[in-house]
Amino acid sequence: MIEYFIRIKRNAKPIFRDRWVWQMAWRDGKHNFGRLFLFVASLITGIAGVVAISSLNYSMQNELDRNAKELLGADLVVNSGRPFDTAFLKKIDTAQRQFAQDADMASMVMFMNTRQSRLVKLTALQGDFPFYGDVVTQPANAYALMKTGRYAMLDEALARQYNVSSEDSIKIGNIHFKMAGVVEKFPGGGALTATLAPAVYISLDALDSTGLVQFGSRVNYSLFVKTVSDEDTKVAMETIKPYRDELGYSADDVDERKEELGEGFGSVYRFFSLLAFVALILGCIGVASSVHIYAREKRDEVAVLRCIGSSGWQAFNIYFIQIFVLGIIGSALGAVLGIAIQQVVPIAFGKYLPVELQFGISWRAVAEGVLLGTIISILFSILPLVAVRFVPPLSVLRADFQPGRVFSKTRWAAVILIFLFPVLAAAYQTESFLTGGLFSIGLILALGGLALVAMGLLYIVRKYFPQNSSFVFRHALSNLFRPNNQTQILLVTIGLGAFIIATLNIIQSSLLNQVEFKGNANQSNTILFDIQSHQKDSVVKLIEKYDLPVNQVVPIITCRLSEVKGKPVDQFKRTDADSVRVPNWALTREYRVTYRDSLHLSEEIIKGELHSFKKGKRDSVFVTISEGMHETLRVGVGDSLVFDIQGVPVKAFISGIRKVEWPKDPPNFIFVFPKGVLDDAPQIWVAATRVENQQNAILFQQELVFNYANVSLIDLRLILSTVDELFDKVGLVVRFLALFSIITGLVVLAGAVLNSKFARMKENVLLRTIGARTGQITRITIIEYGYVGIFSAITGLGLSVGAGWLLTKFFFEVQFSVDMLELLIISVSVIALTVFIGWWNSREVISTPPLQVLRKES
Amino acid sequence: MPEIVLQANALTKVYKSAERNLVVLDNVSFDVQQGTSIAIIGPSGSGKTTLLGLCAGLDVASSGHVSLMGFKLDKMNEDDRAYLRNQYIGFVFQNFQLLPTLTALENVMVPLELRGERNVASKAKDLLVRVGLAERFSHYPTQLSGGEQQRVAMARAFITSPRVLFADEPTGNLDDENAKQVTELLFEMNRQENTTLILVTHNLELAEKTQRILQMKGGKLVNERILAVL
Ligand SMILES: Nc1ncnc2c1ncn2[C@@H]1O[C@H](COP(=O)(O)OP(=O)(O)OP(=O)(O)O)[C@@H](O)[C@H]1O
Ligand SMILES: [Mg+2]
Repeated sequence: MIEYFIRIKRNAKPIFRDRWVWQMAWRDGKHNFGRLFLFVASLITGIAGVVAISSLNYSMQNELDRNAKELLGADLVVNSGRPFDTAFLKKIDTAQRQFAQDADMASMVMFMNTRQSRLVKLTALQGDFPFYGDVVTQPANAYALMKTGRYAMLDEALARQYNVSSEDSIKIGNIHFKMAGVVEKFPGGGALTATLAPAVYISLDALDSTGLVQFGSRVNYSLFVKTVSDEDTKVAMETIKPYRDELGYSADDVDERKEELGEGFGSVYRFFSLLAFVALILGCIGVASSVHIYAREKRDEVAVLRCIGSSGWQAFNIYFIQIFVLGIIGSALGAVLGIAIQQVVPIAFGKYLPVELQFGISWRAVAEGVLLGTIISILFSILPLVAVRFVPPLSVLRADFQPGRVFSKTRWAAVILIFLFPVLAAAYQTESFLTGGLFSIGLILALGGLALVAMGLLYIVRKYFPQNSSFVFRHALSNLFRPNNQTQILLVTIGLGAFIIATLNIIQSSLLNQVEFKGNANQSNTILFDIQSHQKDSVVKLIEKYDLPVNQVVPIITCRLSEVKGKPVDQFKRTDADSVRVPNWALTREYRVTYRDSLHLSEEIIKGELHSFKKGKRDSVFVTISEGMHETLRVGVGDSLVFDIQGVPVKAFISGIRKVEWPKDPPNFIFVFPKGVLDDAPQIWVAATRVENQQNAILFQQELVFNYANVSLIDLRLILSTVDELFDKVGLVVRFLALFSIITGLVVLAGAVLNSKFARMKENVLLRTIGARTGQITRITIIEYGYVGIFSAITGLGLSVGAGWLLTKFFFEVQFSVDMLELLIISVSVIALTVFIGWWNSREVISTPPLQVLRKES
Repeated sequence: MPEIVLQANALTKVYKSAERNLVVLDNVSFDVQQGTSIAIIGPSGSGKTTLLGLCAGLDVASSGHVSLMGFKLDKMNEDDRAYLRNQYIGFVFQNFQLLPTLTALENVMVPLELRGERNVASKAKDLLVRVGLAERFSHYPTQLSGGEQQRVAMARAFITSPRVLFADEPTGNLDDENAKQVTELLFEMNRQENTTLILVTHNLELAEKTQRILQMKGGKLVNERILAVL
């Protein structure tokens, strides 16, 4: 007998030189597009979400960069609470710089066409503002006309709301202004502020004649500067610096304004990023599960290939190539879809974004999306595909041959990378490793929780299996436990979708609950402010004349802090270390305080006590401070403060800390003095009432504005409905994006159903052979997916209540509130959708003639 | 003296289960010479398929050795054995085992393509014509009858001109007419290409067409009959 001791010289070809695997990939792939469609679909939805959001963000960022100067309208702006010091104006004025000024204040205006009135932001302008960007008005010459005298411009939305036309006039203070036109775009004013406080523009020269600027009225003066160069801007900023402390001026240049805007938008973006991240993770689950299903289906074919002589890697490569190519295609399609969505979002929600969005395509977002999708498809398909390498050729002889577990370096590398992936992705998205890590932990906890609850539910069903129920019910229920079932992964993915939507819903209703006034009949919804002392009694009479309750009439004294704990305020600012720093704004701001000897219904003493004032003891004035503010100012009970009350220093000690429910029955105050100290100080008054009848409210407002032009009125209901509307829009965006996770969940669901299709076909054929009717089989299918839907809904919603509670308590710090009806609607929709998809996919199973199935099985 | 292509030496296969060890093959030894045909018969569960799997390198023995074409199978890794199969071995199975997503022609071409050969279609077509499937090149397995599928499988097995052809119950799923056709083809190829044929079957009639019959019982080789002189 001859023995060969030759080692086989097999040259393992790398994937790119192995023509055969590419050929096989194509041949085999042609017939599997249906199955791989699910993989592609999960990828598309996931990537679309990511690309839409980051593209939106990038074009927003670009726009901010491009239009930064237009946002400010000048190179820098100086703000002050009083008219600018003439010495300062002289100092900053150089021959080359250009200047413009504006004075903003809240004021009532009356629209003479309907005699309705409302509170607006009155903006009085002087000079050639803006230096950058345009004021867009209708008609075009409105701005020029406005500068000539008694003409006013209105924000477009305001004009529309009150039906003001160019022939009409409005009354501001004591003066009638003719309409110059409407403002479509004005630099600096974000759309958001325009929604909450619409503006009316007049010229600064006309402001004085209105008589609105009186003692106590809050006017913000701005000086816009156009400098010669960036250098000059810096020089000007230096000039302003000494005035910051001395006169309370603040200054913004373009970069600072940009930063502020970016920050404001940043939290929204982060929130959306996380949503996109969820869609992405669901996409990953979809990819992994569909490839897993695919690899399992391919086992028999792999065994044959191995018999014929392909190596394990070659078999792996065939399917890897398919996944890889489709992964790139899917990512590209996802990116295209994402861009399409990005085009839709500004159209639908552009009004609420701080800058006007261009419909530019961010190629960076597209590239990122395609790259991300490709990485995902590789990463999440390697794990299930590696199994292909270890399919033993013996399976050809024995169909159910089970291989032992094989250790594989590739598999471990994939597992490690898969664990790292969410952390890295979230870190990249949120630009912070901490957030990324926390979010990943949250996600893992949520997924783990979902998996646990799913397992628990299945265990319970198994344990208490309804042995005596009807055949259809029993059969459907036991379908959940059949070999190769996808019940767990279905419960987790659908549950996650339900979880996200329900959590968002809970947070939304909790936040809304916070701003809404709960039906307490006595609470005020209308606030009158800037009432001068001599007007107080007659305004109260007016309120009573209209049969309105006078809930509060409180004096307001404006003052500043000059010493805190015996230390002058200006010393604080310079010397303290960061760790004990009291924020500058808290030290320099203007405080509006009141005096009374009792607690208001929105207040509660949580530490210390109320102290009334003993006549003649000027050195023992005791005030209370609101909770939160004592932390900001780093003061406690017993500490001393010195208030500068219009030039008069008043030393006071803190006797107590008040917990204040701010939205409940306004106005509320940070500092409350006892009676007897400030009674003679210059003061203005605020009155609060509650209006129920709209007709009455209009008449009341008319008479008020007519007789007391300087008194302003806030209709809280109006603000509430605006906030409400805003929430609705934001909620719409949120739901729109959350939809992606749901769609991905549905794709996974469809995949799972398809997977079990062939097994079910055989079973259904058998059932039909022994006499089951189509109706019965349909019912079994529907009930089975009904179970899945119900369990997912219970799991997802149960967890969302927990997560919502945690988020509202620790993150948003608001009262937890659940809208049961909406949660019920969400659950029913989840169940209905699950059943529908299950049924839709099973139609083929139900309608396929038995013979065809037998052929497929042979 | 003819070359020995397959040598089984004291093959034992033990399946370990929780309670006890199941000895499926017990110390089986035999040689097969190049170009001969041999049948392995025996009652169900006697270990025939297990033996075939070991000889073809689809599985490894618990003890004992197989050398195929002089290569010690137990000393090779799985991918090397796969390469060896591709070079020297063909298979025909009871349940055909065609690749469902490939056409008949593509199924036949696969082994040669795997070797990196090009322009193999004409050779594959010739073989399909020879097995009587001239009209069926672009049909998928589900569109073929059992007998037709088995003939495609045989064309696939023969396209590499294997030195050894392993067949496990090749006619087990076929009716008499188809079984006859397939059997004739098998022996024709065996003669024409000088292929060694190793056949596992229940069918005594089929077994008697070979030159030598190995009879198995309870995992042991119990009898050997030489039917034809070489
Ligand atoms: N993975 C396994 N684990 C345990 N026992 C096994 C396993 N595979 C096969 N067996 C046992 O090995 C014995 C031999 O099986 P084998 O398939 O070789 O028999 P066979 O002779 O081919 O039977 P048949 O004629 O029915 O095909 C059987 O008793 C079978 O139960
Ligand atoms: Mg057998």
